[in-house]
Amino acid sequence: MKKSKSKNFLILLLATLLALLFLLPLIFMVLTSFKALGEAMSTSSLLPKTWTLENYKSIFGITADVPVLRWLLNTAIVTAIGTLLVVFVDVLAAYSIARLNLPGKRFFFVVVVAALTVPTIVTLFPMFYLFRQFNLIDTYAPLILVYSANTMGVFLIYSFLRGFPKDLEEAAIIDGALLWQVLRFVIFPAIRPVVATLSVLTFLTIYNDFLWPSVVTSADEMKTVTVGVANLVQGSNFVNPGRMMAATVVATLPALILFVAANRYFVRSVISSGIK
Amino acid sequence: MRISRTWSTVLFLPFLICFLLFLVIPLAFGIYISFHQWSIFAGNGGFVGFDNYISILTPGTVFGDAFYNGLKNTLIFVAISVIPLVLISLALALLVNSIPKKFKVFYRTVFFISYAVSVTAVSAIFKWLFTGNGGYVNNVLNNFGIGSFNWLNDQPLAWIAILIATVWWTIGFNMILFINALDEVDENLYEAASLDGAGAWQQFRHITFPSIKGVFVFLTIITVIASFNLYGQTLLITAGGPGQSTQSLIMVIQQMVFSQNNLGIASAMAMAMGTVMVAIVAAQYFYSFRKQ
Repeated sequence: MKKSKSKNFLILLLATLLALLFLLPLIFMVLTSFKALGEAMSTSSLLPKTWTLENYKSIFGITADVPVLRWLLNTAIVTAIGTLLVVFVDVLAAYSIARLNLPGKRFFFVVVVAALTVPTIVTLFPMFYLFRQFNLIDTYAPLILVYSANTMGVFLIYSFLRGFPKDLEEAAIIDGALLWQVLRFVIFPAIRPVVATLSVLTFLTIYNDFLWPSVVTSADEMKTVTVGVANLVQGSNFVNPGRMMAATVVATLPALILFVAANRYFVRSVISSGIK
Repeated sequence: MRISRTWSTVLFLPFLICFLLFLVIPLAFGIYISFHQWSIFAGNGGFVGFDNYISILTPGTVFGDAFYNGLKNTLIFVAISVIPLVLISLALALLVNSIPKKFKVFYRTVFFISYAVSVTAVSAIFKWLFTGNGGYVNNVLNNFGIGSFNWLNDQPLAWIAILIATVWWTIGFNMILFINALDEVDENLYEAASLDGAGAWQQFRHITFPSIKGVFVFLTIITVIASFNLYGQTLLITAGGPGQSTQSLIMVIQQMVFSQNNLGIASAMAMAMGTVMVAIVAAQYFYSFRKQ
């Protein structure tokens, strides 16, 4: 089925207009971060009349009352360790359910799927209370650990493993390979695409999570960047559009860069993992 | 292939521990708390049976009114958001799918990009776009002589602002899943249909939609769940206002914990909310399942 050239042109034109409209909030964010207070509050033009770096200086300065870099460091620690933990735990569990001789594995599988339906709000505040009883508020522990009960990840890898032939593993076992060798040299290379998907999804989930980290942090220096930005939006802090957009740019840029870099691969992986 | 039970269990153990600690135990503990009077600082204040549930379900009481207000607002948001979130992303997916191949990846990335932006950043941007005094949208409208609107302090404008922010934030993910589903539709069907003289709408109705129906149902369900979890946008953009008309259920539960120090009531509300969500999702699932 060939489409005519003019039809293609119209489709591209429409897509381009929509894409510009869609990017407008991000363009607004970046350009406003270079506007001084008076101009940002009154202007109706997107481009700054006078470009200023004041907003960035005010959030990065030594006397900055907005510790964006500290928040970014917290986010980096929490997302890196959290993502590794999820991948480690989920790959082993999925392999155990899919291939090995796990006692009661049908039962576990049903439990894992049933757990997908438990809304997060139901467990969130009891978990907060428990972490508080153990004096772990304002530590990295609650910020990292809770994401490890990721049943979705187990399910994702399990579905992938089910469609993957067992021959290679069996050959390796016959050749005398140990279990960890099978995992390291046969299974892991084979499931890399789905692990990549899980990693990016988990990374973005932890990076952008808001309710949980806002509940378990109260000290300014323990906040993740997502919670930190929320504080700037609320109440009396909501005064200077330029400064706020500068902080938002700094908070958003790392995730955007990762997203665009991993996107090609990530999008294709979502395709293959799809939904059954 | 058989590997010893011991090794199988050892591999499963890390997940089992995390699963118990961060899902099963909090779930059971939450149910337990909901039958007790419980404060964050003083802990367990004794068994109260169904009292917490009765309080939140009785209109006219403080807790009852808060619960029903939160539930009503959350249901309003579910009602106004699910259809645009699913249909706009389907329309975008159809558009992106008809773009010539070499440009497709670019547009797909653009429309998916907001997925990487956090709810707080989305709220920061849209609050400055829509805020009444000095907001960009009003500045532009004033410039055209249309005059300014009180976006965040008048209804239904406040819901419209929150809806626009949410659509921008979340349609990318739905679109990607729709594109994946569209890619798997058999091309030959379209050729046969166009030979038979079927128009674009007929092709969509009789070929495209039946092929992607599974994904359509799935996305509707996860969108309902996501809309139920409304929190960040209303907390940050409208702070629950005007009045308390955008106060979502999660905002109410959060206040019960931190302002009222009442974990028992909060847990009962969370259980009730969870039950409503599971019931709606189950109804959707069985309804779409039975019709097939």
